[in-house]
Formats: sequence, structure tokens, C-alpha cells
Amino acid sequence: MQPVCGQIRRVNARAAAAALVSLCRRAGKAVRRDWQLYVLLFPAFALVFIFSYLPMYGIQIAFRDFKAAFGITGSQWVGLKNFTDFFESFYSTRLLLNTLLLNVYGLLWSFPFPIVMAILLNQINRNRFKRFTQTAIYAPHFLSPVVLVGMLFLLLSPSSGLVNNLVKVFGGQAHDYMMDVTWFRTLFIGSGIWQSAGWNTILYIAALTAIDPGLYEAATMDGATKTQKIRYIDIPHLVPIIVMLLILNSGAMMVSNTDKALLMRTAGNIPKSDIIGVYVYMMGLGSGQFSYVAAINLLVNVINFILIISVNWIARRLNNTSLF
Amino acid sequence: MAQKILPKKKNIIGRTYKDRVFDAVNTAFWFAVLALILYPLWLVIVASVSSADAIFAGRVWLWPVDFSLIGYEALFQHQMLLRSYLNSIIYTAAGTALSVIVTMMASYSLSRKFAGRRLFSLYFIFTMFFTGGLIPQFLMNQRLGLYNTVTLMIIINSLSVWNLMIARTYISTSIPNELYEAAVVDGAGHFTYFFRVILPLSGTIIAVLCVYYGVARWNDFFTGLVYLRDESKFTLQMVLRQLIVTMSAGTALDSLMGFFGDGQQISDAIRKAEVVKYSSIVISTAPVIVLYVQMQKFFVKGVTIGSLKG
Repeated sequence: MQPVCGQIRRVNARAAAAALVSLCRRAGKAVRRDWQLYVLLFPAFALVFIFSYLPMYGIQIAFRDFKAAFGITGSQWVGLKNFTDFFESFYSTRLLLNTLLLNVYGLLWSFPFPIVMAILLNQINRNRFKRFTQTAIYAPHFLSPVVLVGMLFLLLSPSSGLVNNLVKVFGGQAHDYMMDVTWFRTLFIGSGIWQSAGWNTILYIAALTAIDPGLYEAATMDGATKTQKIRYIDIPHLVPIIVMLLILNSGAMMVSNTDKALLMRTAGNIPKSDIIGVYVYMMGLGSGQFSYVAAINLLVNVINFILIISVNWIARRLNNTSLF
Repeated sequence: MAQKILPKKKNIIGRTYKDRVFDAVNTAFWFAVLALILYPLWLVIVASVSSADAIFAGRVWLWPVDFSLIGYEALFQHQMLLRSYLNSIIYTAAGTALSVIVTMMASYSLSRKFAGRRLFSLYFIFTMFFTGGLIPQFLMNQRLGLYNTVTLMIIINSLSVWNLMIARTYISTSIPNELYEAAVVDGAGHFTYFFRVILPLSGTIIAVLCVYYGVARWNDFFTGLVYLRDESKFTLQMVLRQLIVTMSAGTALDSLMGFFGDGQQISDAIRKAEVVKYSSIVISTAPVIVLYVQMQKFFVKGVTIGSLKG
């Protein structure tokens, strides 16, 4: 028994060695042939390593009690304490719910606008007017979050803003909308629609221009009106992309639009404007509760990861399309 | 006979009555949308060249009232704003150049077949879906000695995986592989092929990358907020935030003035600050809007390339 076993082992070892050598040789050949490709890839590889993968090593502070003096690995290991602290705190439900609701309402309200706009834009007959309209409706997309929120503050200012001036003209009372918690989501989502609805028409317009003109000609011959063409040609062609974007967008329901929420935050609207991203920034960099905040951030990042992978899986099953 | 008549009547099947109604409604709809989008932008411009008194009295609606450049004069005396404007130009120019070079090189690599390509793609794409989070990122960059440095402001965020995928899709779909084969036959390696063939043929995608990276950099305020401490290194958006947002949200001034109605008791300095808010929006946004109008087709192209699956 013994010698046979040894033989088998020897043979296996020899085969493995041969396989390894051939693999090395092939890899060596590939590297010799394509080394320039690796060189071209290297800067991007290094940047992603430094700014994306190195921080992942730092995630462990979520399970530690981070003290700057001890460094990341030197700080005491506390297991899940930071997570349980979060769930026991008064803020956890509010934060999670604020983040989720802002996104859900945002998606429901903003989603239809680009579709309607793309269909109607496609029906404009005069080319110059169409081009001008397109240029104009894309423009707000290029305003920075600071400028967008700045404009909100200016236009809604109770003392000098346009909106309150209008209200006063019609005999109403000036109101400080930015300080009013009940207006926060409306303003957040509304300004988002104002800024992005036009830009988001691009994909739908691309889909509409890809429709075979023969279909419209045939429909015209059969006496179809424009409304009928929209109903029976445009909309059916848009349905796949609508479904796809809806699915993919719903993967971002726990993502925080930190920039904008942070900018719109005022003393008055905190109960609604407190979302995960803002809380992480305020408590982490503001109050230095690094570990506690890293734990919350990790939790949400894992949720986001699971969400986006699942929606991608669904999208792929449905339509053979996915983000990656 | 019939052939002679035909060209004269261009619309043999004319618009039906229903279509004319539809067109009228559609035109009205678009005029309303355009007004809704353009009026706030127009008002900001108009208010920036009006007098503070006119703004506070609510007399600025459509045209400048009591034309004055007081807001712009104040901006040009604002040392910190000028400094930050220059900083933003530096960060944007250097950062965008770096981004475009790195992205083009990597996207060419990923468009070719070589050992480990799938693994590298996964390496990049994974970071789109999972990140370390703000605090670990902050601590790491601090440990690397990058906190409060110009270097960080230029190299951080210099690779967007999304843009990398757009560029890769562009290269692999619109540059025919026969060119590569021909180049190899002529003795070219990847470097030669990349610099002599790919780059000259990639004008469109390079323009797309420039405008995307450039605008993202110019408009970013969060990176500076997290990583910069010295005011001399601040970005334009950070100073803008102090000028417009913090001034409006931080003080109870606005609500007080709303309470008293006309704001007569507010000093001149504060009235001037209100005009400055408008003019600072104009000077910070003008470069981006001009760029956008000039390069519109590239902006749109980026979205449609990105929607293709690579």
C-alpha cells in the first residue's frame, strides 16, 4: 500500500509541478507580450488602491473603540458594540427612515417627468425650437449643489426672495420655507426635479430616435393622430428602458445625497434633513466619534451593496442588461 | 401632370385637426417648462446687477432695477473669494488633465484581451458598489499625510470608474480591431498603438471625459470641506457656501427681517451681502454654463455611450 501511495503522490506532485510550470510559462509569455498593457493600467490601479481599497482596511475601526493615539490596529476591539449602540439610540430609526423616505418619495415624484418630457420633446416640429429647448432643459444639471441650494435660499428668502415677494403681492404672509421642517422634502425633491428632469430625458430621447421612422410613416398612412402614435408606438418602445431604469434606480434607496442635504440643513428642518450621510459627517468629523460613525456607515454600505447587486440580478434576468 | 403637381403640395397627408390641437398644447407646455427653468436663472443674473434696495423692496422681476455693479465690485475686493477661484482653477485643470490621461490609458488596456483582464475589471467595478465609507477614507488619507494638501485635492477622485467604463466601451466599439492587427504587422507594440492610433482617434471620448471630470471637479465642495483646513487652499464652492448658504441658514437674520416686514433696520453691509450672493452665483457658474453650451454634444454623447453595454 505504502509504495503505491507514495507513487501516486509523486505522480500528482509531478503533474502539479508540470502544470505550475506551464502556467508560469504561459503567464510569463502573456506578460512578456502584453507588459505594456499592465504598465498602462498601473496608474489607475494604484489610484483605486490608495483611495478605495486602503480605506477598506480601515473599516475595522467599526469594530474597535478608535483612539487616534493608538492608531487603527492598536485600538481596543469591541466587537459589535458600536452597532448595538446605534440601534439602541433614539436616532437610528429616524435616520434610516429619513434616508429611505427621502429616496422613495424622490424616485416616485421624479421618475415620470423625464419620460413625459422626452415624449413631448420628440413631438416638437420646428428643429430650432427643439434644439433650443434641449439646451435649456439640460442646463440646470450643471449647477453645483452649493449654487442650487444657494438659489433656494435666495428665492425663498422671507425678506427679499422671489417666492415671498409673489406671496406678498397676492396679499399673503411671508414664510421662511427653508426653516420649516414640513417643507424640507418638498423642496429637496422639487429642486431635484428642476435640476435633473431635463438631463434625465437623454436616455429616453436616444431610445425614441432609435425607432424605425417607417413605423410613423405607416401610422400616418393609416390616419393615426399624434396622440395615437405616442400611445401605440412611442410608449411601447420606451417600456423596456423605463422598467430597467426603475429597477436600477430602486437599488439606490439607502444612498445619501449628502452634499445637498448638508447644504439645505437649517436649525428648523433637522428632524427631516438628518439623513445617514449628514449624520456620519456631523458626528464623525464634527464630533470625532469615528468608530460609532464608521459602524453606521458600514451598515448602510452593506445594505446598499446588497440592494444594488439584487436589482442588477433582477435586471439581468429580465432583460439581459445590467450595470456591469 | 400628376408628377408636376406632387412637389408643390408638400404635405399630401396634412396635419389633422387633432394634430394641430396637439401641437398647440405641446408648444404651450414647452413655453411653460422653459419659463419655469429659465426664469430663476434669469432672475439671479438680473438681481446681481440691481441695487440692494430694489431687491429688498421686491421690485426686481424681469429687468435690472437701478442698475449697479456693486455686487461684482465687492467680489473683486473679496480676497478669499479670489484666492479660492484661483485654487479651483488649479485643482480643476491639474485634476482633469490627470484624470483624462489615467482613464484613457486604463480604458485602452481594459479594451484589449490579456491575462487577468476580467479580474482587473472586477477590481475597478467593485469600488462602484462598495466603499470604505467617509471615516475610514479620512483616516487613511490622514495617515498617508494627505490631509490639507494640494496634492490630495488633485489626485483624489481622479479616477471615476463610470467614466472608465464609458471610455472602454467607446474604444472597443468605435475603433476597429483591424487597425490593431495592421499596427502589429507593422511592428507596433501597445505603447505605439495607443499613442499613435488610439489617442488620435479618440477625440470625442477625450472631450467627453474632459467635460465630465472638469465639471465634477469645479462643482465639488464636499472633498474640500472634509480635507482642507487652511483657508488659503479652500475651493470656490466652499467660499460660495459661506457666502450664500451659511449666511442665509446660520443667522436668524432672514427670519427676523421676514418678521419685521420691510427690513428697514438692517444695515447697509447686510443689504450689500444680499447682492453679493447673486453675483457670486453668476461668476462661479458662468464658466460651467459657457463650457456646456460650447460642448453640448459631448455631454449628451457621454450619456448615450454609457448606456451601451461594453
